[in-house]
Amino acid sequence: MRVLHLSWEFPPRIIGGLASHLFDLSRALTRRGVEIHVVTCNFPGAKEYELVEGVNVHRFEAYAAGDSFLGWALRMQKNMERKGCDLINIIKGVDVIHAHDWLSGVAGIGLKHLYKKPLITTMHSTEYGRRNGIHNDLQACIHEIESWLCYESWRIITCSYYMRDHVSWCFRVPENKVCVVPNGVDVTKFNFDFNYWEIRNRFAHASEKILLFVGRLVPEKGLDVLIKALPIILSKGVNAKIVVVGEGPQRDEYQRLANDHGLGNKILFTGHIDDWTLRALYRVADVAIVPSRFEPFGIVALEAMAAHCPLVASSIGGLDEIVDHEGTGLKVPPNNPEALAWGILRIIRDVGFKDWIVNNAYQKCLWNYNWDKIAEWTTGVYEAILHEYNTGSWKPV
Amino acid sequence: MRVLIFTWEYPPKRLGNVSDHVSTLAHELVKRKNEVEVIVLDDLRPGFEDVYGVHVHRVANPVKTHPMASVLTYAMTASVQMEAEASNIVYFYKQHQKSINLIHAHEWLTISPAISLKHTFNIPFVLTLHSIEGHRSHNRFGPLSIAIKEIEDTGIWESNKVIANTDWLKNEILRYYGDGHRKKIDVVWPVGKGWVDEVYSVYQRVAQENLQAQ
Repeated sequence: MRVLHLSWEFPPRIIGGLASHLFDLSRALTRRGVEIHVVTCNFPGAKEYELVEGVNVHRFEAYAAGDSFLGWALRMQKNMERKGCDLINIIKGVDVIHAHDWLSGVAGIGLKHLYKKPLITTMHSTEYGRRNGIHNDLQACIHEIESWLCYESWRIITCSYYMRDHVSWCFRVPENKVCVVPNGVDVTKFNFDFNYWEIRNRFAHASEKILLFVGRLVPEKGLDVLIKALPIILSKGVNAKIVVVGEGPQRDEYQRLANDHGLGNKILFTGHIDDWTLRALYRVADVAIVPSRFEPFGIVALEAMAAHCPLVASSIGGLDEIVDHEGTGLKVPPNNPEALAWGILRIIRDVGFKDWIVNNAYQKCLWNYNWDKIAEWTTGVYEAILHEYNTGSWKPV
Repeated sequence: MRVLIFTWEYPPKRLGNVSDHVSTLAHELVKRKNEVEVIVLDDLRPGFEDVYGVHVHRVANPVKTHPMASVLTYAMTASVQMEAEASNIVYFYKQHQKSINLIHAHEWLTISPAISLKHTFNIPFVLTLHSIEGHRSHNRFGPLSIAIKEIEDTGIWESNKVIANTDWLKNEILRYYGDGHRKKIDVVWPVGKGWVDEVYSVYQRVAQENLQAQ
């Protein structure tokens, strides 16, 4: 089986979570014997073609002038489509075209019709969810493109049941057109030797408990809820400090919010840090907190679970499915500082409980969020589609 | 000869002169025993119509909202729908052991689908430029105008032949997009009688050259 993946990011070009998702997924699919070709944007220093652990990566010229990000994104996808045409002609056909989000979906729709091959789309997120509604023409345009993409796709993959319901509601897609395949985490990446105190001392005083937040600093990630929960935790006699990894437009606002509470020295914005330090930080942190208001999946939760870091998460979206309350972590209602403070205090105060959820969470990573299993499920989706395609009438000739 | 014409207007949609130009061309080509498939952007009346032998495929853009009424995002999304319709036509003829001999695109709005079709099926592509962005734009160095110029530039590079309406326009194209294209540009003045024959002879030459190149 030969699958063409379309994505606007692939390492070393990393913008969001899609790059690492596709990197892990494509390698796992290759291990199962699926021939993978990834068509992705070029990046300074990256080769036009390279073989990465069995994955064929083809990069195209992504520079294109546009009147806006949207104009660029659409012109970029015309280049992507052309690269796809040339590639399919050279390798003499593909079986399935797999697009990721609207930023490669338009190219996917084009290739689907040009070669009459089934298109499958992974909807990692939706514009409606990211913005909590559609408020202006830019968002409406992206929403309509996503809707069109879901209509044109043979099947849609989402990473959680929550997202399946959301996509099916948002774009009026029949539920049986949407398959759920979770994201995965590679636990071996979190097993390494390092100097515990050397890492820990870089971020907090030895007497402070580290409350780790990882994510973009945007309203839907809910860092403000954590900041509001901190005074409650401190008032209970627990010395804690928030370490924030990530960047975003809301950073100054959150710093001001912390200052207003008199907590300027109890919050540390690290900005972007390298992967190794982040993984080490997960292992030295006392609690990882995911206070999101909207979360299609919540890869941060998986990373914490793989690193044996206890987890307090909002009971929304994909997090609701990843975290079992009092089993693999604690779930609290979103947007509620008191509840969040309760969850954090519970984990800090009860060491036995902490060990129990941390071990459960690690086991869940091994069984449910293992890339080899995810590749198996994804291949199952491909095979189902190919069966329908081969027995159907929609074919080139 | 079997020709696929891409245009952004075709009667009854009429915003500029391209509409009448293309319909005259299509009907005259049909009179000369050619098969003509016209693919036109028409958001108000999508569907197929056989107009006295001219097969008109009207396609609508599935994306209706465009921020700041951007013609660029409109063109890029509509382009995919035109490709879909065009490839349907190509596959339809393939089923009858026939093929499309030539693609004729009019104006920058239809350059993208023409290039994709060319890349996929190796069909030669003729581009008619009735005007160029440098003359139309009121904000020549704005990002939108630069994007459209890039598309026109790509279209001139990718096409097998460019048709300009006047010698003046040919020189302007050369001034904007480089003198290296001089041999690629033919001038057909689309007025009076006989200009369709001139276009047809361009078609024949391009189709012949493409056959020889294979």
